[in-house]
Order: sequence, then structure tokens, then C-alpha cells
Amino acid sequence: MNAWIPRQIGRAVWLFATVTLGPMTALGTVDDAISYALEAATKYIREGYTVREDQSGGDLAVGERRAIRYQLFKGNEYWFWGATDVEGAKFHLRVVDAKGNALESERWERGVAAGIRVLPPTTGTYYVVIEVLRSPEERTGWAVVYGFR
Amino acid sequence: MSPVSVCMHRGADYDVRMKLFLFAMVPAFAVVLAAPQGSDSPVRTGGAEPDRIAGKSLPATLVQDVVVPVPGEVFIVLEKLNAPNWRALLRAGEARAASDRARTALVLGTVIADGFVAVQAQDREEVKRIGRLVLTLSGAIGVRKSVVARSNSIIEAADAQRWPVVRSELDRALQDVQAAMIELHDEQLAQLVSLGGWLRGTEVLTTVVGGAYSPDGAELLHQPALIEFFQGRLADMDPRLKANPLVNEISGKLDEIRPIITPENGRRISREDVERLRAIASGLLRSILEKTA
Repeated sequence: MNAWIPRQIGRAVWLFATVTLGPMTALGTVDDAISYALEAATKYIREGYTVREDQSGGDLAVGERRAIRYQLFKGNEYWFWGATDVEGAKFHLRVVDAKGNALESERWERGVAAGIRVLPPTTGTYYVVIEVLRSPEERTGWAVVYGFR
Repeated sequence: MSPVSVCMHRGADYDVRMKLFLFAMVPAFAVVLAAPQGSDSPVRTGGAEPDRIAGKSLPATLVQDVVVPVPGEVFIVLEKLNAPNWRALLRAGEARAASDRARTALVLGTVIADGFVAVQAQDREEVKRIGRLVLTLSGAIGVRKSVVARSNSIIEAADAQRWPVVRSELDRALQDVQAAMIELHDEQLAQLVSLGGWLRGTEVLTTVVGGAYSPDGAELLHQPALIEFFQGRLADMDPRLKANPLVNEISGKLDEIRPIITPENGRRISREDVERLRAIASGLLRSILEKTA
């Protein structure tokens, strides 16, 4: 029993480091991606867009895709801004309807950020899909924010 | 990594990692210290297999929940369609905190939604009153500290009549309250804040659309992902919350709402549908507020 306790504490310390430090590292990268996405949104605020505080983010390997589901309203104009925290990474952002049909009226890509303007043809559910096309990192942090007017 | 189950302050994988960070530490230590020597201690990260988009051309791992819009998103469309009399839509009476925290969370959601109505009405005094009320109600559920600055910002921006800023600050207040509740392990109550806001937004939407029916206006009620989201959240609540009579009543009414706002086979949402929805939403709002006003 006496020999058991130190070994268990050692395992606890190892697990503590795994559970806490791993996520903290990733949180930092997602925070950077969110900052870049919000930075991309800044000039649109002057054009009357309200930028939502509900941000999505995570990390992806090259070739992986994530889709985020949104309720959009016909009659609003939306911009979605995506960003990555990895210099040299390339990602693709698209908006699709429930059948997978792409939907966009304007897009741009600059550095680590990209934006898509959407005028939903109907009110309903849409998906924003982000895909990492290439990256020097094994996992690439990403974030998507949106605004409406 | 598993996709997120709640997409709120910062959704998707970020949220999962935060949950792992907050919740895994204590059980992880308990597992390690209690485990027999040499045994494996698998750590469960939770979550079912992710859905996939049905579209043939673009399969992707789906973040399971929907980003819940703030009421202001649909109110802006209403403004373009109908230019409603927003002042007439402001709610009379002062909502108060209840002894039941679930009810208070729902009330808080409705009050934040009222803030968006007041912004549309450009009613400075009403926005300021709502800013103070958000603070009081947040205090009643133990998250006052997290919204003090936000409440002040709402009041200052209202004084300056900077309506887009007020709209953003209301959104931030909502996110801050919910993030603080999650930190307090009150994630399920945080969902009730969203639900309260959605119900009040739906009441306003149906009142406006019902008053001057048009197919375009009624289409704004087509919100299948949201009703699915809220039903799922209520179904996953712990038995104590599910047994709450108010939560139970709302759950039953969402079952009635679902087929109306999820029309199939190209069916449009009719004038009668809108009126029925309005009656349900108003009834639920009365139930939420009856012991607080």
C-alpha cells in the first residue's frame, strides 16, 4: 500500500498535465483564430453589420472538414468570416443549404482570413463548412464568426 | 475530437476542450487514485458519433447543434417587411426573479429579448430599465459579477442612442451570462435562458406577422433546427429539472410547435398556423412570468 501511493500520485500528475496543458495549448490557438476572424469583421461593423458574439472554433487536420449549423432568415444579409491561426495554412470556407448546394454572393480570401456574403433565398437551416486544404502544422486552429444586417 | 454539444459562447471544439478542462480534472484524479495498480483507466470524452450533412457533394463532420440567433436578427427582417409599431410590442409590467432558478433563467431570456424589442423601438428609458433588470436577474442566479460591465455598457449606449452598440451589448450580455452559468456547472439553466429568449422572440414575431399576414413574413417562422435543438436540450435535462412543472409544460408545448414551424412537402405556414403559434408562445410567456410580475 505504501509503495502504491507514490506511483498513483505519479500517474495523477501525468494525467493532470495531459488533461490541463493539452487543452490550454489548443485554447490559445483557437483564441488567435477568433481574433483574426473578428479583425476581418471589423470594417463591416461600419457598414451596419451586427457581429454576433457566438463564435465557433476548433482545430482540424489537413483534409478534415467541419460544418456549423445556422438558422438564417430571408431578408437579412449575412457575412461569415473564417480564420486560422497558422501562417501558411490554406482553408476553404463555404456556405451550403440543407441539400449541400453552395450559396454565396461574394467572397474574398486574404492571408489567414476569408469572408463569404450570403443572401439566403429562404428562411431555414444552412451550414458553414470549413476545410483545411494545406498547413505546415498537424492540427490547424480555426474559427468562424458571423454578422447580419 | 468530438464535436461540440453546445454552441454558445465559443462553440464547436473549443467548447469541448473547455468542458474537458473544467470537468475532467476531478473525476480524472478520482479514477487514478482509486484505480487498482496497473489497471487501465479509459477517459471518456463523451458524445455520440457526429452527424453528416446529407448533401452528396459536400460531406462534412457536423457540429451537432445550431447557432441560436438573437431575437434582433429576425426583428431586423420584420422591420424591413412590416415596419411594426415596436413601442406597442414592449411588455408592460416588471419581471422579477423567482425562487425557482429555472424560472428565473427563463425570465432572464425573455428580458434580454425585450431589450431587442426596445432597441427596435429606440426607447432609451426602456433599454436602460432592461439593462438594470438583466443585472438584477443575473444576481438572482448567481452570475451578477459577470454582467456588471455589460449592463453598464447597455445603459451608456442607450443614453447615447447608439442602437447597433446596444444590440451587440445585449448579445454579449447573453453570452456572458451563459458562459458564467456553465462555469458554475449550470449549463442546463443556461439553455433555459436561450429558450426564454426564443419564446419571447417567437411571441413578437407571430404578433407582427399575424397582424399583417404575408407568406414572406410567415416564412420567418420556419425554424426546424431551433425547435429540434431546444427539444433535444429539454430531453437531455436531468430528472429534477425535467420534473419542474414549468419546464414540463414548455416541453409539451414544443411538441405542439414543432410540426407548425417544420412544414413538410412544401406546405406554407398559414395565417392559422401563425395565430396558433402566437397563442402557444403567449401562453408559455404568461406561465413563465406569472409568479414574477
